[in-house]
Amino acid sequence: MRLRIPLIVLLVALAASAHAQFFPYPVQKRTLPNGLDVIVIETPEFRDVVSFNTMILAGSGRENEKGRTGLAHLFEHIMFRHLHDAPGAYDPAIAELGAFNNAYTWYDITYYHPLTFASNLERLAALEGSRFTNLTYSERVFRTEAGAVYGEYRRNASDPGLRLEEILGDLMYGTAHGYGHSTIGYLDDVQDMPNAYKSAVRFYDDYYRPGNAIVVVSGDVKAENVFSIVEKHFGAWKAKKSPEQPDPKAFNGPKKQHATWESDIPPRVLVAYMVPPYVPGSKDSAVMEVLGELMGGETAPLYRKLRYEEQVASAMGVDNRSAIGFDARPLSTYVTVAKDKYDAQGRTLLDRIDADVARAFEALSTYSSQADAAQRLESVKAQLRNDILASFNSPANIAENFANYYRFTRDPQVLEKVAAGIAALTPADVDAFAKKYFVPKNRVSITLAGKGGAQ
Amino acid sequence: MKRSAILTLILLTACTATLPPSPQPTPPVADEHAHHDHSQMAVPPLPQYTPGEPRVATLDSRAPLITMRVMITHGATSDPAGKEGLAAITADAVTDGGFRRGNDIVTKEELAEQTVPWGSGARPTVFTSSRTTTFFFTAPRDVIGRYVTEVLRPMLTQPVFEAKEIDRLKNETVSQISSLRSEDLEGLGLAAIDQFVLAGTGYAHHVLGRETAVQTITRDDVIRFYRDFYRPENAIIGISTTDPAIVDQVREAVRNVNRDATTPSPAMPVKTPEAFTGRQALVIQEPNAPAASVHLGFPIAVNRTHPDYWPLYIANVWLGTHRDSFGQLYQKLREERGYNYGNYSYIEYWAGRPNSLFQIFNQPREQQYFSLWVRPVKHEHAVHLAKAITYELEQLIRTGLTPEQVEESKKKARVLYLNLGETVPRLVGARVDDAFHGLAQGNGFLDRYIQSVDAVTVEQVNAAIRRHLSTANVKYVIVTSTPHLAATQQQLASNTPVFGKSWTDYEFTTAKLPDGTTVWQVPEAKLPTVQLDAVWAAYPLNIERIEVRNVNELFK
Repeated sequence: MRLRIPLIVLLVALAASAHAQFFPYPVQKRTLPNGLDVIVIETPEFRDVVSFNTMILAGSGRENEKGRTGLAHLFEHIMFRHLHDAPGAYDPAIAELGAFNNAYTWYDITYYHPLTFASNLERLAALEGSRFTNLTYSERVFRTEAGAVYGEYRRNASDPGLRLEEILGDLMYGTAHGYGHSTIGYLDDVQDMPNAYKSAVRFYDDYYRPGNAIVVVSGDVKAENVFSIVEKHFGAWKAKKSPEQPDPKAFNGPKKQHATWESDIPPRVLVAYMVPPYVPGSKDSAVMEVLGELMGGETAPLYRKLRYEEQVASAMGVDNRSAIGFDARPLSTYVTVAKDKYDAQGRTLLDRIDADVARAFEALSTYSSQADAAQRLESVKAQLRNDILASFNSPANIAENFANYYRFTRDPQVLEKVAAGIAALTPADVDAFAKKYFVPKNRVSITLAGKGGAQ
Repeated sequence: MKRSAILTLILLTACTATLPPSPQPTPPVADEHAHHDHSQMAVPPLPQYTPGEPRVATLDSRAPLITMRVMITHGATSDPAGKEGLAAITADAVTDGGFRRGNDIVTKEELAEQTVPWGSGARPTVFTSSRTTTFFFTAPRDVIGRYVTEVLRPMLTQPVFEAKEIDRLKNETVSQISSLRSEDLEGLGLAAIDQFVLAGTGYAHHVLGRETAVQTITRDDVIRFYRDFYRPENAIIGISTTDPAIVDQVREAVRNVNRDATTPSPAMPVKTPEAFTGRQALVIQEPNAPAASVHLGFPIAVNRTHPDYWPLYIANVWLGTHRDSFGQLYQKLREERGYNYGNYSYIEYWAGRPNSLFQIFNQPREQQYFSLWVRPVKHEHAVHLAKAITYELEQLIRTGLTPEQVEESKKKARVLYLNLGETVPRLVGARVDDAFHGLAQGNGFLDRYIQSVDAVTVEQVNAAIRRHLSTANVKYVIVTSTPHLAATQQQLASNTPVFGKSWTDYEFTTAKLPDGTTVWQVPEAKLPTVQLDAVWAAYPLNIERIEVRNVNELFK
């Protein structure tokens, strides 16, 4: 008997732990009659703050009209010009209210995230409701804002990363899918944006609809009060089914391209594989989550080889966040090549790094046979869990991290599924993923180097 | 002797505000390796050097992970001449160069393996700024004791500085300098104005250093820098718990940094910037720059401890809040005219630009400067916008702010607080900076932010503007491409009008009068815009000195 008591206690503790919520906050959901999902996450320890977030489930990936790339991003700008120069104009009203206000656009989403004091909740909801349900702007304002977007393009154009992204999109998707171009759009299209007014109106009409949006409110609020306020100000938003996105054409790799850069910069190597659409909790998606550290972290053999042993790379990383999409997306490894090594070895070095990266990814098909495979995977899983927990550090971050997973299946328990999926992951799952996706026909390699220096 | 006395004074000032005064270092009296036979000398025994105490800033947080920072109050301004970049290489060599733990050497690879399960933040990182070097540590609460014993303490107290790691870090630094020149247009301009305005001081070189200087850095240089400046009395600890057991454990770890040192840390007084009169311009020729960027700046005496800090903060919010549409510069250049992505003003060095939306903590400095930043614009518009921002600053100085404008700015400033103090790491970071500035816990930047903003009056704002802002003695930096260099120089050198956007750009239409004359039709609402455009175009820059440098000459 004396032995059994602690055992029972232990079993109870394990059971409790197994059922303990990973996401430390209760999630409350209400769907309005027009189809708008409203999520409230009460975080009373962040006193007096409310984060009011609206996610539109459309980004640059929904831009399919030829010559009109960049519209989703432009529209993000236009949303701040609601009623510009007219009574009740949005931007001055936000200033009057006292709120931090910003937004961003990506492949699958456009995310609006004002932050203010909790006492302003009703007034902020009214302003947000006004612009989402009844956006009003003139063509002149549209043209002025298009100039600001061109300025943003110019700002980004000095970064070789934009060139790599443009080539990658083009090689993987061509022009048939919105993922084929960067979020900011092609230069020619950005320059022609002032003439894209009608296309922009169409984009807004198609995608800025309640069934294609999610409102997430977090902070020092009460859920019932939030539901009532959001319904009052978003209830009139007219429902309309957004167009279905065509699936990307099957990609047939491998493809390889070299690009030149005007200045004599440290060269770049990018190796990407097409990976499947993200499904929270699935084995494939859990593998995608751990690949950032497993292949691009400081403990990864590839990282150590390139950066420490051979010192041919001054930076390296695996971008698995951009791989998470509604449709199949590229999972990319970026290498910044050591300039002195390139000057000595030339393009051969870039080709060798490309081959090293490809070999390392394709060797994951036998990951489970590595001596330390299970132990390393457990370490990475623990890291991921701690990183996600650490990211719940403000109402805005809590809401954004939640929304970014919720958008896939609209399941309030989505983070539990993501955590469970990661916890259940085994080395054999990594093998299976690699066998299926890290194969030459899914691969794109891009090298980029300055015009001067080695050739 | 003088240098040490200054250090003593600085430390005393800094310590008293946050903690009980710590034992002060005594002036150097002898080379630490020299042997002195006091029995043969008719002088009293020489005082011993006693290491001081680290300062500690705490935050009571129940978050599952604990954030810790250890700031060393020396950075690039302490780089010896000819060794620019040493502070940053030393800092990186502490986190990457291996350390001794018991009888073992822990390599960076082993450190990474050990810390992975504790989250990405558990792998120590470091950031070197001009005045400080800050180490960042984060670990789950349930392993914190082990983390301090096995990672934080041995890494800070027993680094081994492996030579091959130092060589690697030097190569990577040279590569980063190359990238700064040629693939980061905004970073290039921001770095250039930082150095140009504070010429003649330790701030006048980039934290990464100079390319040729970095290549001369040796392991001995690194060890010397570490021995000289990594001292308990030069350290500020920030930690997101008030649990005395944890706080004491971290404090004790930092107390043991260079515990065996026998002489005080050298004093490194920060020079005041070179005085200059009139307006000067540095034009940077970046052969392939896709756009131009424009900067204006001049040193100011205001930092966070200055009584005019908050009034000037409010004035700055009005003029050019960073990455926000509220500021006047943003409104006039972007909103009304669509020139670019944004235009801002600063009363402090602002690390993390262009990407950070809010000020990043743990890069404090005593010497500040005022600056304006026009984000990339068409090359042809650069000089027109240099005129525009100078004119707008001059108008601010001439007219000041109205009570209504001050109230609007105060409201905006209160909102900024929501983001500045948004997360636990931010709160800890702010408290570390408070300790750097000698602001007591509870009386720090974020602690008193709202009260300080509320207390600002119109009179204070306008007096601070008049006292500290001027357009008489300013420096400009313009980054432009080779094809546009000559025109930019010529426009800067002459005081002839330089126009920006044309009426065609504004898409005004034309009409024909009955007599056949073609006239522009300017919408009435746009009249103030075009009138101000003309004023900006005619504004004389009166540049007294123009220096042109190819980008490849920078950071050499």
